[in-house]
Amino acid sequence: MAVRAEIVSPETSRVGVRHENAALDLAEALPRLVVAARRASATVAHGLHGRRRSGVGENFWQFRRFGQGDPVGRIDWRRSARDDHVYIREQEWEAAHTVWLWIDRSRGMSFQSSLAPVAKVERAVVLGLALGDLLVRGGERVGLLGLGRPTASRDAIEKLAQTLSHAGESNDHLPPPGSPIARRAEAVLIGDLLAPEADIAAAVGRLSGEGGRGHLIMIADPAEETFPFAGRTEFVDPDGSLRLVAGRAEDWRTGYAERLTRHRASVAEIARRHGWSFTIHRTDRPATEPLLAVHVRLQEAGA
Amino acid sequence: MSALPLAFLSPWMLLALLALPALWLLLRVTPPRPRKVDFPPLRLLLDVVAKRETPVSTPWWLLLLRLAIAALVIFALAKPIWNLSEGATGSGPLLVVIDNGFGAAPDWSERLAAAEAAITTAGDGDRPVALAATADQPRDLGLSTASKALDRLRVLQPEPFTPDRASILPAIRKLLESAAGAEALWISDGLENGGGRAFAEGLKAALGDHRLVVRVDPTSSARGLAAAENQPAAMTAKALRAEASGPEPITVRASDLRGRPLGEAQARFETGAREAVASFDMPVELRNDVARLEVVGAKSAGAVQVLDQRSKRRSVGLVTGATSDVAQPLLSPTYYVARALKPFADVREARGQGPNQAVEAFIAEKLPAIVLADVGALTPETHDALAAWVRNGGVLIRFAGPRLAAAPEDDLSPVRLRQGGRILGGALAWETPQPLASFSPNGPFAPLAVPKDVTVSRQVLAEPDADLPDRVWATLGDGTPLVTGVREGKGLSALFHVTADTRWSNLPLSGAFVDMLRRIVDLAGSNPPARTESAANAPQPAQAAAMLSPTRTLDGFGAFRNPPPTARPAPAEGRPAATADNPPGFYGPLDAGVALNALAPDAVLARVDLSGLDVGTAPLAVSEPTSVAPWLLTLATIAAIADSLAVFILGGGMALLGRRRATTAGLLFAGGIGLAFALSAPAFAQTPPKDTFDERFALEATLSTRLAYVVTGDFEVDRLSKAGLEGLSQTLGERTALEPGAPMAVDPAKDELSFFPLLYWPVVDGQPTPTPATLARIDAYMKQGGAILFDTRDALTATPGAQNETLKRLLAGLDVPALEKAPPDHVLTKAFYLLNDFPGRYADSPLWVEALPPAEDGEERPARAGDGVSPVMITGADLAAAWAVGADGMPLLPTSGDERQREMAYRVGVNIVMYTLTGNYKADQVHVPALLERLGQ
Repeated sequence: MAVRAEIVSPETSRVGVRHENAALDLAEALPRLVVAARRASATVAHGLHGRRRSGVGENFWQFRRFGQGDPVGRIDWRRSARDDHVYIREQEWEAAHTVWLWIDRSRGMSFQSSLAPVAKVERAVVLGLALGDLLVRGGERVGLLGLGRPTASRDAIEKLAQTLSHAGESNDHLPPPGSPIARRAEAVLIGDLLAPEADIAAAVGRLSGEGGRGHLIMIADPAEETFPFAGRTEFVDPDGSLRLVAGRAEDWRTGYAERLTRHRASVAEIARRHGWSFTIHRTDRPATEPLLAVHVRLQEAGA
Repeated sequence: MSALPLAFLSPWMLLALLALPALWLLLRVTPPRPRKVDFPPLRLLLDVVAKRETPVSTPWWLLLLRLAIAALVIFALAKPIWNLSEGATGSGPLLVVIDNGFGAAPDWSERLAAAEAAITTAGDGDRPVALAATADQPRDLGLSTASKALDRLRVLQPEPFTPDRASILPAIRKLLESAAGAEALWISDGLENGGGRAFAEGLKAALGDHRLVVRVDPTSSARGLAAAENQPAAMTAKALRAEASGPEPITVRASDLRGRPLGEAQARFETGAREAVASFDMPVELRNDVARLEVVGAKSAGAVQVLDQRSKRRSVGLVTGATSDVAQPLLSPTYYVARALKPFADVREARGQGPNQAVEAFIAEKLPAIVLADVGALTPETHDALAAWVRNGGVLIRFAGPRLAAAPEDDLSPVRLRQGGRILGGALAWETPQPLASFSPNGPFAPLAVPKDVTVSRQVLAEPDADLPDRVWATLGDGTPLVTGVREGKGLSALFHVTADTRWSNLPLSGAFVDMLRRIVDLAGSNPPARTESAANAPQPAQAAAMLSPTRTLDGFGAFRNPPPTARPAPAEGRPAATADNPPGFYGPLDAGVALNALAPDAVLARVDLSGLDVGTAPLAVSEPTSVAPWLLTLATIAAIADSLAVFILGGGMALLGRRRATTAGLLFAGGIGLAFALSAPAFAQTPPKDTFDERFALEATLSTRLAYVVTGDFEVDRLSKAGLEGLSQTLGERTALEPGAPMAVDPAKDELSFFPLLYWPVVDGQPTPTPATLARIDAYMKQGGAILFDTRDALTATPGAQNETLKRLLAGLDVPALEKAPPDHVLTKAFYLLNDFPGRYADSPLWVEALPPAEDGEERPARAGDGVSPVMITGADLAAAWAVGADGMPLLPTSGDERQREMAYRVGVNIVMYTLTGNYKADQVHVPALLERLGQ
């Protein structure tokens, strides 16, 4: 049986409730994700979880000697009455971290071969939403890069899905330049990352230049990896008018595999250079794999 | 002959097959259409440098398929013919010999088809054809064109006798001498009967080196039936077959002269046997009616036996004057007669009763023949009865003896016996017993050989009357008669001048005795042909008398037909087997003639033995030559379609389909929805048809009591009916114990009416007359207690007293009782409200109801009602319009009077409904006070 490969129609790949449900199912399996405090920068946004340092919050953190410059109003008189010093009561700093998600919604992401259960975009959206859900449950703020402000509300995943749905397809293979990202925020880029290496390097450099750290998740269809085509085949680029007729597709397999490995190696190199993480995910694998990987990465970044 | 019956008319076309390898090469290098694949990482792929760009070759199976298509077309162009018959391949004249004896009859059409095929193909090759049929009269054969031979072939019929094939050999030889290089085809029936082998040898010798093909069914041939015999216990017949093959059951059917089947008998050819005996175990009277036996399904004259009078068994009554002495049967006077009669007749002996009673009993049983062995005097009644019986066709055979000799003269004997000292024995003591000398040529014994060993020692003598010589059937050596006989009326009486036992002669011990008795008994029960009369009384030349003309003969298939012109008279003794001149069948009068059969009693069937002869044999059932080209072309077309499909699939067509699947599904869905709407639209527009019992309708109609109105088809009227009944239902619910459900519309043609106590039927002009079936339903509804309220709604417009034409038409087919205007004391006026009249929307319209029996004189009853409810009520007051209320509960239409009239209309409605529901209950209710008073309360 020859492998079939096609571009799923936009109607079927449109972001919808099923993505939310799939994402929720996926996220349920993992503990809530709290981005490590070290990454928490001076964003003053209020969050739910303590940062293990004093700051603005509701929970008691420590008593500290009153020092010069402290406002008198913060003196904890009850504590100060026990001995001769004057103490200031400090609360634990509770602040949310902002994670920017970016999901590749280009035409090529709608690719699905008969080897994979879902299209790439499907997997990318589910992954992104699940990640968003995990983060929101952990008290973080999640935003879509280039698509509005970050949010931490409980129905964030719905909002994200709606935003994606409204945004529809875009031709960008990488986050557009000028996307606002706060300093020291985290970025998670989910896409097939098939753009030229230079473009990827530029995009990652731009984001990390603004202080952000990030994660690259490359979604790949098994057919893109194994190149299971044979016989006379005409290859069409879904985005453009590029096409290639291969007389015997099987003759192209080795060269393509080499080229793909090289491409991935250079993407990994780009990630490494900027201190980003890089994960490759094949759509015939369970979606929990990359989620778990990113989960770990996001946490260990703070360890 | 080749192994496959396949030949090519244009074999040179097959050379084109050589081009197939070239085609193969050509196809190999033509690449198939590429598969189209979406591939996002195409940019990466573009960077790859392909090693070599050779197109992928066409898959081998596709290549094979295309070569097959080409080969099929080439084969088709070569005009292949399946089952090419012999005629097409040879050259020179073709002689077709076809067997058309009875053996060819069962599969005659196949033989014709085989001959026709051979002649047609010979004609296609412009070969002259000669046709010879073995059962036809020998005549000169000549070559002719195929079409003329076909014309001759079509008039050929199978003949009902065994063909004498040798008779046409000279003509064939003559033909073959003149026609050089001729080949022959013999369509044989497979039977040796009629000189099969000799004919084949003769034919081959005449043909010389040229080919002889024998078409013969290798496994089976015609079945035969021979030697039908009516034996004492049963009627038997031999079924014959030519092949000593495996076991085979066979059914023989017996039928009478008119063709009515009388019985069937099963027989079974055992393995290797060529004969099977079918035995009919039937009562002798039934067996005597059998005129024809045939093998069921054989369809051949050879499998038919016709039976004449000679095969009939007759019951012969045997009466003796001697006291029966069962202790010594050999001394019984009837012993020898009974033994002699047994082979061909059923003997009934009188046991335990005197001669007179026995004779009368036999006459009462209508036996065709009675033997009186030494019976002397009979009572006058018996004598008269016996004489009358003889005149009516009985055969009386008397034997002499002491009692007969002592008895006074009676006229039952054919000759006067000598009076007085006529008794031999004592007075005439012969030196030597007299032998039997001769049989009279005019008597029935004429064909018999005179036995040498019969001697007579005593006899009774006949008076030498003038007619004595004519009556003598057998004479002794001294010229005295031994047997005399005479026809009397339709019957016959014969006298043996000796005893039935061996006291006077040894004739009863002779074999001739049996034959003589048989000859006499055979005459019984047959309407004698003239010749017998003349034979008995007026001698004529024997030759002329002995020929019988054919009456009904068999055709080759064994069916009766009128004798063909070629049939000639047959000798009266019959022939063992039929010939061309005497086809099988009946000769002479039907009930007294002789029957000829295709097969002699001792006939056997055998297969023709062609071994050792240089002939080609072929099965008979060779199908016609069929052109194979259309099939090949069809196959090629199918293969071409398959090729297109394969190319489509290889080129990624399935993926294309898959992508369009969503769109297609959507279109289909929309189409389906549209179709569903289109189908259901009429259902919304009209009452759904209720051909069968509609359970929903029944439940709806019966779960609560409902008023119903008949749908007229006039929308406005129907709306008013509905609204009116709704208003009435509402009023009923408010004022009475009855709380009706919403009114229902009914169509008397479709809906069950019996659920409703009252039907409101507004009469609309131009309403179609109900069909008879509908009328029957309405009639049944009325008869079974339903009530219909017809409303003509014309009180305002109608001429008083005139009948509404539409109503008249509607009621024309109904059994409507006599009607009258509801009288003031009718129970309708008192069923709920007390009413004086019955207004509706219009006042002053009477309400017609079934006429009540007139009130008895002097009886003052406040209310009257008949038995049950008036099935028909007719008003013109337009009640429904008065009752009609809208959704807001307000009246829809004004009445002709004031609002009080509407109230009265409601009361009329309430009364009518109450009346239909309670019947005459209210009429009886008025008597309650009187009844209570009578009861003393």
